[in-house]
Order: sequence, then C-alpha cells, then structure tokens
Amino acid sequence: MASSSEPQQQQQPKTQKQIDAEFTSYYLQRATQEFGEALDAVRSADDFKPDSSIAVLISALQQGTEMFSEEDKRAMICSEGSAKSSTK
Amino acid sequence: MGKRFSYGGDAAAAPRKRAKVVHEAPTSEEVHASRQLRQLLIFDQDPVRSRHGLQSLKLFLDEILSADGGIKSERARILRDYLDAEKPAEDDESPVYLPDIMQTWSHAGQTNNDNIMSAVPVVLVLLLRLLSQSLETVPYGLGICRTLLQKRQQELISRNLAADKGKSFVISPTLRLLREAVSFDGGAIARPLFRARATMLKSLARNMGIVHMGEDKEDTKRPSARTNAIQFFLTAIKYLHPEAKKELLSQRDIVSALTRDIKQDPPYLLKELLAGLRSHIIMDDKVPREAKSNLLNTSTLVRLSALYQHRLDSPTEDGPSIADLAHELLLTVCTNPTCGVLRQDAGFYPREIDPNTTIPTAELDDLGLEAVVWMNKFKTEVHVRNFTLSNFLPNLRPWSSVKQSELITSIFKVAPELVANYFLNNKSFTFEPKLSATWIGYAAFLFNTVILPIPENLCRGPSVPELPPPTSIVLDNILPLPLNQKALIRCLEHKSNMVKFFATRILVVAIEKLDAAIKIYQDPSHTNKSIWNEAARRLVDEFCQRAPSIRNMINACQKIPTQDLLHREAASRLLRLCYEVLPQATLSAKLDVSAHLDAVLGRISNQELEDPRDFALGLKELESLLAIAGYSPGMRWFGTSKGMTLSPFTQLLKICVEAPKGVSLKMIQQVLNFVVVEQQLVPGHAGHPGLLPLVEALQYSGKCASQVWPFLDNCFTHCASKSVKYVEMLQEIAQETAEPAGQKISEPLVSPIILAIQDQLPHASKNGGEEVLKALGRILPSFLGLSVTAGESRPILNSIFSKMVSDLPDPKGKLAKAGVPKGLEFQHNTWTSSGSKLSRSEKIAANIEDVATFEATIDQETLEGMLNIPDGLEAENSALMKWANKTADELVDEGYATSLIVLLASEHASIRKEALVSILKVADKIKQSDYEEKEQVWLLLSELAETAKDNVNNGPLPSTIVAFASHALHIVRDPLHGLYPKVNIFLTRGPYWSLDKLPLVDEILTEEPNVGDAFYTQISWLLTYLIDGLRTTHDLELYHKRRAKGPVFERILALAANPYMRLPLRTQVLRLLYRASGIEGGSTTLTTRFSVMNWLEERQFACTDSSEAAVYDGLRKRIWEACDQQKVSEWSKNGLP
Repeated sequence: MASSSEPQQQQQPKTQKQIDAEFTSYYLQRATQEFGEALDAVRSADDFKPDSSIAVLISALQQGTEMFSEEDKRAMICSEGSAKSSTK
Repeated sequence: MGKRFSYGGDAAAAPRKRAKVVHEAPTSEEVHASRQLRQLLIFDQDPVRSRHGLQSLKLFLDEILSADGGIKSERARILRDYLDAEKPAEDDESPVYLPDIMQTWSHAGQTNNDNIMSAVPVVLVLLLRLLSQSLETVPYGLGICRTLLQKRQQELISRNLAADKGKSFVISPTLRLLREAVSFDGGAIARPLFRARATMLKSLARNMGIVHMGEDKEDTKRPSARTNAIQFFLTAIKYLHPEAKKELLSQRDIVSALTRDIKQDPPYLLKELLAGLRSHIIMDDKVPREAKSNLLNTSTLVRLSALYQHRLDSPTEDGPSIADLAHELLLTVCTNPTCGVLRQDAGFYPREIDPNTTIPTAELDDLGLEAVVWMNKFKTEVHVRNFTLSNFLPNLRPWSSVKQSELITSIFKVAPELVANYFLNNKSFTFEPKLSATWIGYAAFLFNTVILPIPENLCRGPSVPELPPPTSIVLDNILPLPLNQKALIRCLEHKSNMVKFFATRILVVAIEKLDAAIKIYQDPSHTNKSIWNEAARRLVDEFCQRAPSIRNMINACQKIPTQDLLHREAASRLLRLCYEVLPQATLSAKLDVSAHLDAVLGRISNQELEDPRDFALGLKELESLLAIAGYSPGMRWFGTSKGMTLSPFTQLLKICVEAPKGVSLKMIQQVLNFVVVEQQLVPGHAGHPGLLPLVEALQYSGKCASQVWPFLDNCFTHCASKSVKYVEMLQEIAQETAEPAGQKISEPLVSPIILAIQDQLPHASKNGGEEVLKALGRILPSFLGLSVTAGESRPILNSIFSKMVSDLPDPKGKLAKAGVPKGLEFQHNTWTSSGSKLSRSEKIAANIEDVATFEATIDQETLEGMLNIPDGLEAENSALMKWANKTADELVDEGYATSLIVLLASEHASIRKEALVSILKVADKIKQSDYEEKEQVWLLLSELAETAKDNVNNGPLPSTIVAFASHALHIVRDPLHGLYPKVNIFLTRGPYWSLDKLPLVDEILTEEPNVGDAFYTQISWLLTYLIDGLRTTHDLELYHKRRAKGPVFERILALAANPYMRLPLRTQVLRLLYRASGIEGGSTTLTTRFSVMNWLEERQFACTDSSEAAVYDGLRKRIWEACDQQKVSEWSKNGLP
C-alpha cells in the first residue's frame, strides 16, 4: 500500500564483470576518501616515483576488493536508493 | 647511395693498436649493361679497381631493391643477364657461383684488405635479398648459398667473423650474410649451415658482446655487431630443427652472451628477441625441456627481469612496452612447467622428506608429532626443488613494481614450496611500518602472498599425505616471516590509519587462510587423526604467537574514525574471524560489543549514510558485530545505552524495515529471529515466521512506522523482561475464548509480543502522543492479520484486537467493525506456511559449520585425539637442580617454580621433601628480589609450602592443590588477569589450604566476575585447572564428594548446559569427563552418581552440529566400555547402554 508503486524501468541485470568494475571503482573512491591524508604523505615521501609508485598505490588499495564475495559486491552495487530520512 | 662508411688504406699493414683509419670512399660508376657489370666485377689484383666494381654493384643493387618490381623490374634485366652469363656449368661437381666476386674476396683475405672483406658480404646480402624475390631466381640464390658453404668461403666467413672487435664493419655484414643465407628459401640450407657451425658460428658469443657504444640511441640503420649477431641467432633458431637448437643452446657462451648486454639493446631488437625466444624455443614443444633449461637459467631470468626498468622503454599506445613483454615472457617461463624452469613441487612438503613415511603407531602415540623427525627441521632453511626460481626471486623488487609483485605471487601459486624459502632467504627486508611507497608496495605484495590458495591436499597431489606438513612451513605461508608479532603490533598502533588498514586486511586474509588449513587438518579421512589434530593445535598456537593479540586488534578497532567505513568493516571482520577461528585467543578479550553495536546501529538507522553503497558497507560491519555479539553472552539486546533512544534490538528492526531495496538483510533477520525466539517474544515452534508479520506490517504502513519505534521498543523490553506475565495473559485469553491452550509455553497460540503491545497500548500516548496511536491504528490491524496468515489463533487475536481498539483512535468505529483483517498476504517478504522455522543452526552463533561429510560416529582414536590431554602435572625430578642459578624472573616466568610445585605430587617422599625445601628457598629468593609481584608470589608459595608441610610424609599432595597452585602462579604475576582479585582474596584468607576442598571453584562458579565480561575466561581457567587436578582415585573422590552447593561434577555438568557457552569450553567439560573415565571407578561413578550417560545423550540430541554430536556419542561409548558394566546394568535395571 504505502510501498513505492512507481513504475520502474526494466533494466538489464549487470554482469559480474560490470559489478566488479563498479565495485572496484567504489572501493578506490572510498579508500582515497578515508586515507587521503596518508596518501598525500606517501606522495611526498622520498621513495615516491611518479611513473611507478602510483600504480603500486592503486594496486595496493584496490586489492582489498578481493575480500568481498561476488554476492557482497552485487548487494552493494545493486542496492537501490538510500533509506529515506526519518526519526533521529 | 652508401649505407656505410668505407675505410681506406690497408688495415693489415698498420699496427693493430690504435690504428688510424683513413676514410677513403670507394669510387663507383653507374651500370648500364650486363657486359659493363661483368667487366666491373672481373677479378683484379688492384684493390682500388676491385672496390670500384663492388661499390658500383652495391649501388646498382640498392637501386633495384628500392625500385618498383625489384628483381622483375626492367633495370634488373642487366643483373639477370649478368648472372646468367656468370652461371657455372651444370655438370660442375662443386659449382662456384659468382666466381669473380669469390676470387676477389679470397684475394682480399690473402692481402688482409678489410674494405673488400667487408664489401663482398655487403653485395652478397643485397643480391640474396633480390634473388629471394622471385621463384625463378631462387635457384641462383641457393647456388650462391651453397657456394658460401664451400671450404674456401667458409674460411673467409670464419675469418670475417673473428675479425678484431673494433672491425664491426667487417663482422656485421658477414652476420647479415649468414642471416640471409640461413633464411633463404625458407631455411633450405639451414641444416648444412649448422653442420658447418665450427666456422659459421665462429665467435658468435664474442660478437654478441660488441655493443653500441655511447650515450645516444643505437641507429637503426647502422646496427651494432651485437644487434646483427642477435638477429642472426634469432633467424637461425627459426629455421633450425629441434636437435640443432638443443645443440646450439648447449653452448653456454652463446646462451650467456645472448642476454648479458640486454640492458643496452634497442627496443626494436628486444621485441624481436623476446618474441623469437618465445616462439622458437620456449613455446616450441619439440625443443627438449633440458635445452630450454640451459637457456633459462638463473642469470638469464635475472637479466630478463632487468627489462622491467629498461632505460629506452617508452610505452606507446600502439603496442606493449618492453616491460610488458618481458613480464609476459617471464610469467610464461616461470609458471609453465613445459618451459624448463618450473619443477613439480609437493606444496607444503619440502624436498627430501617423505610425507607418507610409516611411523609405528606406538611411537606416534607416545611422542605425538615429535615422532615425525622432520617436523621441526625447516625453521631456518627449506630445501626446494625449484632452485632456479629460488635463486631468481630475490633479484626482484616486488615492493616497487606491480608487475614484479605479480610475477612472484604467480610463481608462488604454482610452486608453493618457494614461499617459506623466499622469506627465509630475504630476512633483511622487514615490515617495519613507514608511510612510504616502498612499505605500501611491500604490504600489497604480502597481502597477495597471504591470499594465495592452499595447495590442493597440501601437497599438490591426488590425496592428503599420511603425515601433516612441517608447521613452520604452513605458518610461513599463512603469515609470512616479515609479518611477525612485533611488526604487526606496530602497524596496528601506527598513527596513520592507512597503515593500520593494510595490516588489518592482511590479518583478515591470514585468519581466513588459517581456517581453511585447519579444515584440511581436521578432515575425517586422515588415517593418523590424532597426529593431524595435534598438528592443527600446534599450527593455531604458533599462529597466535606470531599474530598480534586480540587486545591489540580491539584497541586498533576502537580508534578508527566513524566515517571510515572501509576500515571499520575490515576491522570488525577481523574481530569476528578471531571469535570464529581462534576462540581460545578471544577468551582474554575485553570487547564491549554493545558499545560498538550501538554506534553502528545509530549511524545506520539514523540515515547518516546517504550513498546506498555506503549503507550496504555499513551493514557489512554490522553483520560482523552482530556475529561477535552472538559470542558475547553479556550482549544487552533490550537495554538502551547512554545517548541512544532505542535498544539495539529495535534499531536492528528499524534497519530491517527501512533498508534500501536490494541490500542483503539475511544476517540481520536471522539475528532478530534468534533473539525473539530466545526471549520468547514469538512462538518458537516450527513453521512460525518469527518477527516477519511485524516487519511486513511496518513496511506496509510506510511512513507511519517512523512514529512507533519508541513505543515498540518499550513493548519489546517489557515482553523480554516479563515473558511469564504474557504467557499467563495468553492462557487467560485462551480460556476466555475457549481455545485449547495446548503447550502454552513452548508453542503459544499467538505471539507474546502482541500481548505486550496490548498491555502497553494504554501508555502509548506517552511515547509520542496521538500520532503514535494513529500510526498504531494502521499498523496493528495488518500485524494481527498477518499473524493470522502465519497460523496464529484468529479467535484469540480477535479477542486481543477488540481490547486494543478501545485504546486506538477509532471515532467512527471502523476498526472495531472491521476486526482483524482476513486473507492478508506477505508482499515485502517471502514466507510460506511450509517454511520451516529458523532453526538454532541458523542462529547467529551457528558459525560452527555443519560439516555434512562428518561421520555420525567417531572412533576411539579420534576421540582420544580430541579429548585426551597430556598430564599437566607430569613431574621431572631434574627440576630440583635446575632452579638454583635462576633469577626471580626466570623462576616465575619460565616455569622453574611451577616444575617444583608439581613435584609435590610425586610418589616418592624424598622427592616431595626436597621439592618442599626448594619451594621455600625459591619463595625466599623471590621475596628478596626486585620482582614486581614478589609479595603475591611469595605468599602463594609460602601457603602452598605450609599446606604441604604437615602432609609431605602422608603421600602425594592432592593433584587439585598442586594444579591450583601451578595455575594460580600465572595469575598472581599478572595484575591485569581477570582472576587476580579472587586469587588474592583467597590467599589472604588463611595461611594454609584445606586438602579436602577445591580452591576457587565456588568463587568462580557462583560469584560475579570482578571484570565485566570475564566470566568465560574464568571458567576456562577453572576447567583447565580441574582437568590437571584429576589424576588419581583420591582426586576423583574430591570431585564427587557431597558439598554444600553440590558435588563438583554435578556443578560442571550443569555449567555445560549453559546455551551461551561456546564449543571450546564445552569441549573442556568433555575433556574433564574423559579424564575421569580413565581413572579406576571413574566411569562407574559418573554413570551411577551423575547419570552422565543420560546427560550425554541429552546433549547429543540437543546438538545441531553432527560432528559435535558424534563426540558426545563417542564419549558415551567410552564411558560404557570403561565402567563396571554389570553394576551399571543392575543400577539402570538394564536400561543401559
């Protein structure tokens, strides 16, 4: 009754590859958000080489995606809309 | 158009060193007719004229080559006519093609004329290139090639190839000539050319070393001798047959020279080289493995790996870079067993050991893992089969290159034996945390190593071997050596959250891997189950020693900022894994999971996470915390903590109702249902959907739900705390409505929560005013209607609803008239009446995996492996001597004092007396020392001595007293221990202890723990001491003796019925029973005095885990076999077994 009854567009289900890519992108975005300060510190470290260290950093950050199962990734990427704000 | 410099003067005449080369360009003329060409090339002793002729031919050939049509062009007719005219007679046995040119070359050789020695190969190269363009001219080209194979020409070629290193202008054209020859007509003369390798390959290795000098790039139009030599080599391997390649690769100097100067090679050559080696050697199945091994030795691999940082590498969008190509080649070479480098290994079993050795059972029983001689042998060195790779890997820099890291981990994956070996050989590189690119690279590399799968059957063989692999090797694969406790603690305590995050992630995957390993160890198919079980215990112990303690992890977790969702998710997952995989390590944990849970619940239920992905990530953290809460009996589901308006339970329900569509709520729903059944908020019988009708009704009501949370929270709390009251209310209503009440408590006809709501409805307006009542007016009819759908009693619900209506705003009487709606269906949640209830096995605590494959029965050997604990009080008389020179610290911390205490249980009076004297001396020595807890230790030892003094001649001291003293010693030296206050109170109570009593049993079992959550830690300590204290029939008497609060056995059996007690503690209780059953009369006493058989049977049936049930069954059998069966049968009136 009160549930959303708006017509929803039929969407093609995402392939696992798409989900993996989107999840990796989300994971990296969150990681850079959470550790932005530390990443800046690393970039100014003596051993930081622009040509190779960036690849190392990105690879290091995103390897955490391997800790999530395919089911978890799908649940995170495919959840629709956020909960509406209610009582505090 | 000259491509090359020409050099004037006679080089042979000049001194060899520092020869001053005079550049005198040869003269030439344009060719118009074949006759003219013939005259130009006719042999002449005058070098100037010879050079003139050769140069004219060269320019002529260049012109034809660059013209359209090539050999078929009009201009080429002159050449074809010339060649026809120069063609040797057909009946000639060894025809010499181009006799004049050959003679000129020969004469130049005799007169050491380098210019002509160089010019002849130059024109021959051009000529062969032209002749290969047409099928008609190929036979002529083949003739020239065969002429080159004649002895005179071979000598000239050999001489050219062996020219001084500085004479690249002679060497290079000759190498190009050979390249043309070997590839001419699809390699037609490759075989005879290789037969003449003594001359044709002369100085090849040396020539491969003549590199381009200078800082600038090598000119592609003027390649160095090395470039030409490499190109000739690559062309040769393309056309040579496999046996010839094998022979070629057996020449170490050539193989070595091939890659020695690879760092300086121009990119185009490197691409050719890598492609050539890949196609014609590495991936050529016909080339024997041995030949490939000759090429791909450690040096070659190291040199190829240098291409990861090639100075001239310039990645373009068009094609792969040199680094990419080298990486691809190395990956293939190092991970494909057909390439000659990778050898088949045996996973976690090092070279030289036989994991299927037969060890006599008696030896295994006596010595356990120590019977396996190699078990502890590989802590400092691991012998491997893949020695080439073992030598190669330390040359890579995984911390600074993603590709190199990938290469190593790919090698580890196919040769797991190298993991332990690699880290043992690279001890210098530590994991000491530092916010630098190198540390992060290293952390990423270690993560990739830890996450590698466990080799199949541990040995990469078809079945698991008889004996477990060396523990140190398995541990090095789970937590590689750099990940030691010190480094990991420093990471977890590091000021940078990113460092903590990386360490946390590594620990997560490490514990997951440990779990996977333990499952293999505990596979029921092992023949030597006891050995495997012991190895699993040892593995876990050693892991705990290398990993940080749970306290470090908890501390790290508490400091994570609330908005760092990724980090919090990883940290909560780590804690959860500790509780699941290392339960014994978490006994000392002081984690206030309620506080964490409150924070997460608050964040999620207050909609602080707007991004649905963040919301889902928050739920993952919540899931982990809920699992931990399941392990914490102190979890307060229905209390509201400071700053929170709703209890954790209601917040969870709120999340469930308001969660965005698509997120996984399975875990949360399981927790909710587990709690409501445990707390009797809903009926617990099969088929009831638990709290689903309420969830559905709240979702159905939309925004109204937001009004009623405080009211519902109040109802839940009331229902949970006064469940009996509502069950009684239900009985009354059932009688009123004449419903058969049935089994009211276990299967009520309606959910008690509905009665609680009815009970609290008159007070609803206190929790938000009329709005709440309005909202309830919408929600409650649906809730009750759905409850009817779920199988609850309609008459009773109607009766309840009619009472509810009086409190709900219903001015027009619509609600009262409509009653409980009929035929409501679940729309938001899936449920059917055939669905079974969420069983206990699905509850949050059901992390004990139901191993379907576990046999329902268990043999006595396995049972012994699981429940038999070695005698903890086994005495060593040498302890009397060893303590004398030790310091106070060593006496207490290293167990010398404990060894003396244990001797008080010795059978020999003299030993006991001597031990007593020694204990007094030790006590005195400690009191005199600077030892921090000296007073407490002295008091304990003195009281023990006082207790023993009067009884030392009467026989061994009861094991209970000895066990208590030795275990209490560990407590008095640690003021942070949860039992510290209780032990000290006990010690200050009196100067000696009653031999008849078991110290601290009452205090631990009945009194509140001094530290919040420490009850189970204390139980664990108590059970360990009770097991150690049960050794003789005299000890047994103390356990079954009548006491004010009941015999000790009775109390321990009652303790095990605690539903919150976890498997490790339950197993400890079983170990105590197992120990008792082994003592004379023990089994009979347990059976007749404590009905242990029935107790075990009941536990077995209540148990959802088949493997645990099998243990109960096994223990029953063991007790039956060990008891006085006749007596027990009589006692049970033949009811047993």
